[in-house]
Amino acid sequence: MIDILHVAKNHLLIALRERVTLFWFLIFPVFLLVLLTLVFGQIGQEGAISFEISFVNLDREPSAWVSGMIESVFDELGTPDAEGKEPLFRIHKPEARQSDEAFLELETLALRRGRRAAVIVIPEGFTGEVQGRFVPIDESEGAPASDQTALLIYHSEGNAASGMAVEIIDQILAGIDREILVQGGQFDPAAAIPGVTTWIGSEEGGATYVDFLLPGIILMGLFTNGLFGVPGSILFSRDQRVLRRYWVTPLTVPRFLAGMAIGHVALSLLQFAILYVIGRFALGATVSFASLAAVLFLLLATATFMAFGFLIASVSKTANTGMAIANILNMPMMFLSGLFFPIAGLPAFIRAIVYVNPVSYLAAGLRAAVGIEASPFSLWLVVGIPLAWIALAAGVAARRLRWDVSR
Amino acid sequence: MKIYLALLRSETAIMIRDKLTIFFTFLFPIIFIFIFGFLMGDIDQPTARLGFVDETSASAPFPIDILEASGVAEVVDVADRQALETSVRDRNADFGLIWDGRALEFLYNPSAVQENYAYQQIAAGITDAFNLRAQNLKAILPIEKVHVGTEASTRWFNQMVPGIIAFSILSSGLFAVSGHLTAMKQRRTLDRLLVTPMPPVSLLAAVATVRLVIVYASTLITLLASIAIFDLAFSIDWFEYTILVVSSTLGMMGLGTIIALVVRRPSSAGNVANVLAMVMMFLSGIYFPIELMPRFLRDFSLVLPLRHLADGMRYVTGVSDMSPLHFWMIILVLLAAALVLFPVLARYVVRPERS
Repeated sequence: MIDILHVAKNHLLIALRERVTLFWFLIFPVFLLVLLTLVFGQIGQEGAISFEISFVNLDREPSAWVSGMIESVFDELGTPDAEGKEPLFRIHKPEARQSDEAFLELETLALRRGRRAAVIVIPEGFTGEVQGRFVPIDESEGAPASDQTALLIYHSEGNAASGMAVEIIDQILAGIDREILVQGGQFDPAAAIPGVTTWIGSEEGGATYVDFLLPGIILMGLFTNGLFGVPGSILFSRDQRVLRRYWVTPLTVPRFLAGMAIGHVALSLLQFAILYVIGRFALGATVSFASLAAVLFLLLATATFMAFGFLIASVSKTANTGMAIANILNMPMMFLSGLFFPIAGLPAFIRAIVYVNPVSYLAAGLRAAVGIEASPFSLWLVVGIPLAWIALAAGVAARRLRWDVSR
Repeated sequence: MKIYLALLRSETAIMIRDKLTIFFTFLFPIIFIFIFGFLMGDIDQPTARLGFVDETSASAPFPIDILEASGVAEVVDVADRQALETSVRDRNADFGLIWDGRALEFLYNPSAVQENYAYQQIAAGITDAFNLRAQNLKAILPIEKVHVGTEASTRWFNQMVPGIIAFSILSSGLFAVSGHLTAMKQRRTLDRLLVTPMPPVSLLAAVATVRLVIVYASTLITLLASIAIFDLAFSIDWFEYTILVVSSTLGMMGLGTIIALVVRRPSSAGNVANVLAMVMMFLSGIYFPIELMPRFLRDFSLVLPLRHLADGMRYVTGVSDMSPLHFWMIILVLLAAALVLFPVLARYVVRPERS
């Protein structure tokens, strides 16, 4: 037993001494967890994002109350709150001596170059146009909307900030639209039909983004650990003739394997603990892994990825080939598994890859086990496919894995 | 010249024999395009599928036309609430709507954390439109949206492809020095070459020439693949495109020199280059828009060469605009990095390994 523990300790220490290993197994998953949470975890939350927009009001008559109302709403949204939080919009307006045309030209150029998210222009005579539309829908049928007096929103479609800003501006203008109709006595707010939100199976809106992401990142960490760590450890030791030194000791291959597996599980445990602590205490994840099903899935994932590592080691002649195969498999297996992106809308031939990919089942199983979402696969598949991969890898490794360069 | 040509021949042969480099240079970007094209290619297209249950009698039918006008791509009629919940939970519908004559109840799948924000925006639009219709009104503010970019800039995936090409140039340039030259050092082939009359600059010129040709061909193949598979449109300025690919490959080789100088162990240089490339990839707006990042990360991204390289690549492929001054500044900085760092490379990296 002591020899097994020695091998386990060596495996762990070698991994922890290698800075590159530390980066890929520990630092990179943490980096990705924090980055993705910072980027996607705050979409739609107030104060999380601020848009640079330009605003030009050409409808400056004293009687232009509609334009004044729109401008004051945007001015308010462009003012930082008492806590000094970034406002929703940083609004740019023409300088005192700048002509509207020159300003607009500069700002649309800034929009094209990604420095503005949108440019809003209220044309001259806009209030008059709006007042002229105070008629019920059936009476206004056929009344042409004057293009010259429409409020213009300039945007750039491929720019994500521009797309989001326009969605928000749409909502704000819809609110103003409603307010004008209420003030004009046309819309009865008391008779409005409410929109109600229901979260299926949850009362509070369910999981947050970090809750969704954390199990995925943990699996990604275990996956890279197995995919690169296991073949790296075996193949580099074999190529550098370290392994053959083991075989002149009383250590047998099964005992070496047992030690290596324990060391690998210890490294995976460390990886899990670091990611969990950061996810929970730094990023506010509430997802809990303290259930038998979650623990079993984590163990199944560790075993599956370790088996994958053995499979790669078995089919690789050298360590460099092994690392190349791992690199080639890494990205497609991770991205085509639903770890980071939904895979429901993929075409059939790509879905075929998803269906043979064990990461898909492990991701679905783990998320179901921690209560994030119901698995789209049956329990038999979620457990059976990874087990099938383990069996396949074990079979191939038993036949093909060479433990010494000279054998 | 004779020496340069001989080295060029040998470097070409080495490159052609190196299946791994060929794979990562030519096929890897296409694999990325393939995966992300199907995962994210239609991310900005209206794809929301709404499961709909009408619990009212036929006397008060729901005005279905407002759903489409509010951004719903497909309406799936569902028998009852239970079937709708199942449909949304299994993602056969993206979100659901139950109309019972008193309220518009929108059902969401809590696990669709990435998409629910967009569905909630659509739901708000449906509620507004429905209420106006119910009171025999229509929106009173005339609004017109004007897209100011080029035709090629209307989809996020169009922005992603030049980003992937930029990343491929970065990797190839970085690894030319930190991978290829340091591997030559490690195998002592560099030592053997250096005892011949070969000037180091000839070797560098041969390595750079082979890389330039390979990178240029790889970027073209990636572009063609994205156009052929995903029907993307680009408006390429071939002169600026060529200038950018050449200067960025040389500039990134210059950056690889810094890694080769800082990291003493030749075997570690490739690993460090790999780590740096990966970190830059996530912070430079290649896979998700930089505009969604918090301000401090957006500011940080400005110091990353990949950010500017990706912006430049988007500019020359016509998917985003940039001032000509900005573009030529990028070219100038990349060429300056190459001009300053290549002599350093010749002096300190291409030299015999001290044992």
